[in-house]
Amino acid sequence: MEYKLVPSICSYCGCGCGVLFEVMDGQLVGTMPLKSHPVSQGKLCIKGWNLHEHVISEERLQTPLLKTNGALQEASWDASIQTTAERFKKIIAEHGPDSVAVLASAKVTNEENYLIQKFTRAVLGTNNVDHCARL
Amino acid sequence: MKDTVKKWLEEKQVDMFLGYKMVHGHALPYCFQADRLDEVDDLVVSRERYSLEKMATHIAAVYPEMKIGMLARDCNQRALKVLDIWDQLKKDSVTTFNVNCCPSPLKNHGDCSYLEPSPVGPVKVELGIDNNMSVEHAEHLDQKERFAHWMYEFSKCIKCYGCRNICPVCFCKDCSLEHPELIRSGGALPTEVPLFHLVRAAHMAGRCIDCGLCEDACPMDIPLRLLYRKVGSSVSDLFGYRPGIDEGKSPFNLIGDAPTTEPRPI
Repeated sequence: MEYKLVPSICSYCGCGCGVLFEVMDGQLVGTMPLKSHPVSQGKLCIKGWNLHEHVISEERLQTPLLKTNGALQEASWDASIQTTAERFKKIIAEHGPDSVAVLASAKVTNEENYLIQKFTRAVLGTNNVDHCARL
Repeated sequence: MKDTVKKWLEEKQVDMFLGYKMVHGHALPYCFQADRLDEVDDLVVSRERYSLEKMATHIAAVYPEMKIGMLARDCNQRALKVLDIWDQLKKDSVTTFNVNCCPSPLKNHGDCSYLEPSPVGPVKVELGIDNNMSVEHAEHLDQKERFAHWMYEFSKCIKCYGCRNICPVCFCKDCSLEHPELIRSGGALPTEVPLFHLVRAAHMAGRCIDCGLCEDACPMDIPLRLLYRKVGSSVSDLFGYRPGIDEGKSPFNLIGDAPTTEPRPI
């Protein structure tokens, strides 16, 4: 029997509430608020309370999906990144850099979001970058 | 405390001990076990209260034979009593190390219910309910005004279900708060006021141990503890039963020989 509580940060929005994951025998079984966290002070919204359900959900996507012949199909990371790069290059060559946009995510780290905007502005050459947690 | 817990683990009096340990400056609940006995030196009594008995219930649900030791304040003790009565966590499987209630400058031994209340802001005093109000005081407010003030509080609810999720004595598999005929499912907001809160209050009758964790966890600062205290006082007046303090089953899970309809003064 192994039972531990792992402190973490909720990845849903920009607030960064403190959460405690309940882990039994290596399996995530619950989420509760981190009482002493300076941001959330032991409170969570419904999304934070249910973080573990998303991790263990059977419907969770584990690989990228590529639209092939009109339908989404599972693909490898290499193939997905390659296809995205090719499409980006083609669209930018035909219609200019402002014809593409990038949507960043609250579920990645601050540093990764920095990289996304840097990539969009410096590599793709457009200011069309936004973020889902611009609350 | 540390020596006793070590002794318990060594002598197999308990298979595991739920206490607290400092991790990155936060006192976190921690499961101490015999194969990592040195760690017991890090055992602390934290200022933060977690429902260790709820964690014990989760463990006992998977490992029913597990002998669980835990650090217990007064509120943990009351919760354990209720969980035993409702067959969620049998008292024989739990050994408690009793500690003082939340450290407070006011008392050497203070029940957490008596801890220094934090003052509420002027808007809440004007429109809502002061969380520190006594049940008696709340009952003597003008009825119309009282209703408006409670509705103000309830309508703030963001339906996070935190009050239910954190509650040490909430364990039902089918929760009325998720019943589609009572409460709209999904993220429908605002939630059904005052139904949502009154359903929960009714279910707290004969069960609520007044630990205050619900109000602690409420992001909208709804005075839940006061509401459940009122429910508790009704049960205490009508049936003379105080959950977690009095022995025996709650009046709501007793099937008596002869049901009585004899009215009693409220």
